[in-house]
Amino acid sequence: MDFNLQEDSPEMTEFRKEVRAWMEENMQGGEHLRWSASWSTREDEEEYGFRRALGEKLGKKGWLFPMFPEEYGGAGLSVDHQFVLETELSRYGLNLTHIFYTLARIVAPVLLHWGSEEQKREFLPPITRGEIVVWQVLTEPQSGSDVANCQTRAIRDGDDYVVNGQKVMVGHHLPPDALWTLVCTDPDGKRHENLSWLHIPANLPGVTIQHMHLMMGIKNAVFFDNVRVPAKYLVGGENNGWKVAHTHLELEHGGDGRVGTDPVVDRVVDYCRNHDVGGKPLIDDPHVRDTIADMILEINTVNRMNRRIFWHRFVKQPHAYGGAQFRYYQRMVRLRNGERLQKIMGADALIPDHGVHEVLDFEYVIRSGPGQLHGGGTLDTDRLIFARRAGIGRATKEQAPDTV
Amino acid sequence: MDLRLNEDQEMFKKVAGDFVQAEAPTTMLTQQFLKKETFLPDLYAKIAGLGWLGMLMPEQYGGTGLSYLDCGVVFEELGRGPVPGPVFSSGVLAAQIVLDGGSDAQKQELLPAICGGDAIVIPAIGDHGAHWGPETVATTCSQSGDTLTLQGTKRHVYDAGGATAFLCAVRGGDGGVSVVLVDRNARGVTVTPHTGFMVSVSEVSLDGVQVPAGNVIGSAGAGWELLDKAAEKAIPILCAYKVGACQEVYEFTVQYTNERRAFGQLIGRFQRVQDHCVELSIHMDRARMATYETLWLLDEGMPAEAGVHESKAAASEGYHQACSYSHMVHAGPGTDYLHPLMVHSVLAHTLYQYLGTPDYHKRRMVDALYPRT
Ligand SMILES: Cc1cc2nc3c(=O)[nH]c(=O)nc-3n(C[C@H](O)[C@H](O)[C@H](O)COP(=O)(O)OP(=O)(O)OC[C@H]3O[C@@H](n4cnc5c(N)ncnc54)[C@H](O)[C@@H]3O)c2cc1C
Ligand SMILES: Cc1cc2nc3c(=O)[nH]c(=O)nc-3n(C[C@H](O)[C@H](O)[C@H](O)COP(=O)(O)OP(=O)(O)OC[C@H]3O[C@@H](n4cnc5c(N)ncnc54)[C@H](O)[C@@H]3O)c2cc1C
Repeated sequence: MDFNLQEDSPEMTEFRKEVRAWMEENMQGGEHLRWSASWSTREDEEEYGFRRALGEKLGKKGWLFPMFPEEYGGAGLSVDHQFVLETELSRYGLNLTHIFYTLARIVAPVLLHWGSEEQKREFLPPITRGEIVVWQVLTEPQSGSDVANCQTRAIRDGDDYVVNGQKVMVGHHLPPDALWTLVCTDPDGKRHENLSWLHIPANLPGVTIQHMHLMMGIKNAVFFDNVRVPAKYLVGGENNGWKVAHTHLELEHGGDGRVGTDPVVDRVVDYCRNHDVGGKPLIDDPHVRDTIADMILEINTVNRMNRRIFWHRFVKQPHAYGGAQFRYYQRMVRLRNGERLQKIMGADALIPDHGVHEVLDFEYVIRSGPGQLHGGGTLDTDRLIFARRAGIGRATKEQAPDTV
Repeated sequence: MDLRLNEDQEMFKKVAGDFVQAEAPTTMLTQQFLKKETFLPDLYAKIAGLGWLGMLMPEQYGGTGLSYLDCGVVFEELGRGPVPGPVFSSGVLAAQIVLDGGSDAQKQELLPAICGGDAIVIPAIGDHGAHWGPETVATTCSQSGDTLTLQGTKRHVYDAGGATAFLCAVRGGDGGVSVVLVDRNARGVTVTPHTGFMVSVSEVSLDGVQVPAGNVIGSAGAGWELLDKAAEKAIPILCAYKVGACQEVYEFTVQYTNERRAFGQLIGRFQRVQDHCVELSIHMDRARMATYETLWLLDEGMPAEAGVHESKAAASEGYHQACSYSHMVHAGPGTDYLHPLMVHSVLAHTLYQYLGTPDYHKRRMVDALYPRT
């Protein structure tokens, strides 16, 4: 076993130096930004602009998807390179696939897996190079957890599909370039055999996007009113959408893994060192220390689960229940940490843009706590998947799909 | 990063796993735990024969000089039994105390005997109740000429049953803590097993016990530091044992969800039962990941203090919780002393206390990471 995240081969040491220098140069002017949640629906134009520009620069080097082939916008590098990139970005609290709001981290691997050669050449490079924003568009008013109940229809008409329907709670506060959408292509077909995935350019006539103001920030309703989408934009074959969804949802349900670490504990400790109660630094308060201890145990576990999934994914031995277990636990931890922040910081924890939040947006951690429990599937979905994968009440364990 | 065991470790795992199945079958363990007879001399002799006492000890002292990870892999399998007896307390912890603190002569005399299983040396540390820390050491030690006289009562001594000697923490006239080797058969030593919801724990009273002054291990007055440092190396091995125990509990619990039917279906189909299994898995994996990372840190010679305390907190809490969630799944049948869960349940409660509670170790972890100002 080897848990080392730093020590590299001579080649990787060189690469690390290169990445570190590159980051130092390109993070100039961005150090003060409050990197908080890994993906941000907060409406901070300055932060978003910086992240977006950084993403494009990384994308130009193929570093957003380092292991992808060059012709699809990657850099054709090894898992070791990816490891170095992830750990170097993590020093700034950044996560390679969440540099700015786009669901590329899911959509790109799914396209790589299921797209035709033509689709991969056309769709992938702009997505993987961070040039465009793509949203995942699944949820509907009557189809949340039960995503297979999808009612948005896409009916073949000549060289196009004609799309009608409504999606909710997708995207963020700025407009998308492409919508990666689950549609029903056979309204009379059997459940699970009637769905398909469409790559829909967001600027097509008949697409309307309306903000929804949710506790985590802005999400959107998307309306499709007789939108004509070229039939060649259907990915993975007509009525084969449920299979494609398996790959998609495995990534959404924690199967992607990550080697970076959540900085919340270090930030809380910083805060506690710099704030007094009755002349005594908070960090010396025994109750505060006990609360921090619980945070450490849980956050370390979250980080280790994430790294374990990352490792299993890239050695191509997907961890059957790891993703679902991680997602359930990580979101519960975040919810609990919200309360712990309030215990430690008092009402200050609930104020945004306070000086103390420079290093981490505590208010956002708290505010998004209950909301982030459902993104990409609820806690119940996570545990349901866990049970299938771990073989609870079933003789055969469901395998995790391959996602690299 | 690499999460695989190496070839040797895979072999250790196999050998130890097979050994546990053959030599410590569940039916035998449930009987032994019920009778509270958990020191099994024949089993212990076989373990000694396999070289599993003193795995961390250098070869010159009769050990096998293996790595922490190697040793952890074997203990994980022993935990699956759970194989009882002083394999850890004598073969790992006491051996480490002697190695770290003993004079050359003491090491020569004691370590080969510990590693060979002829001597079973058991740490007897705190005098009072539940807690752990230097403040619990109250046994007095007065010196006259070359003789020390010990007076006190070690309230909870784990694995005292098979002991041939104890490593007693005592307080000298100056108030400092020292570690003294006391023969089990010395006059004034009485070992009384505890009853109740714990196992393998006895009270050891030391009533005017006289030992030669040469029996002090390490410098007089520096005993707590010696114990603490040795425990830092030994504890992750105990954690691996608990991880194995969690794994066993997890596996038979999942299996039960596939056998037991209620309301016309397998109980594993009920989401609430599934939820218990999710929580169980988290406790198991959390303990496992912290423990193995810490074993690796120790092997690499990197700072491991925080990791040791984290692992101990996670593994003690994890084993305890794993059993609780398993009880929820098993309901009535799991409460039968002849059910394998009961062996684990009793042991999990016992080990929760052994060498410090989770709360104690959490505080030590925070102190190691963020010293008080
Ligand atoms: C922060 C956030 C971000 C989001 N981002 C996106 C996005 O980018 N794209 C997108 O398409 N969607 C997105 N969503 C929507 C999200 O995917 C849905 O909210 C989620 O799938 C749950 O659907 P629902 O809200 O309709 O709840 P429902 O499905 O109505 O669930 C209601 C309750 O019933 C429970 N339940 C349902 N089925 C079962 C079952 N079989 N067993 C046990 N319990 C069950 C649920 O767990 C929940 O407690 C986002 C949501 C949030 C909150
Ligand atoms: C301390 C104690 C005292 C007792 N005293 C008595 C007594 O005086 N008289 C007497 O007759 N019996 C008594 N019992 C037996 C007790 O009533 C049963 O243990 C209890 O009804 C559960 O049944 P079971 O143990 O067979 O578990 P099972 O029914 O096999 O349950 C196994 C698991 O499946 C779950 N499960 C089952 N059905 C569902 C469902 N529909 N939805 C979700 N989860 C489900 C259970 O909650 C449990 O987690 C006692 C048991 C104990 C432990």
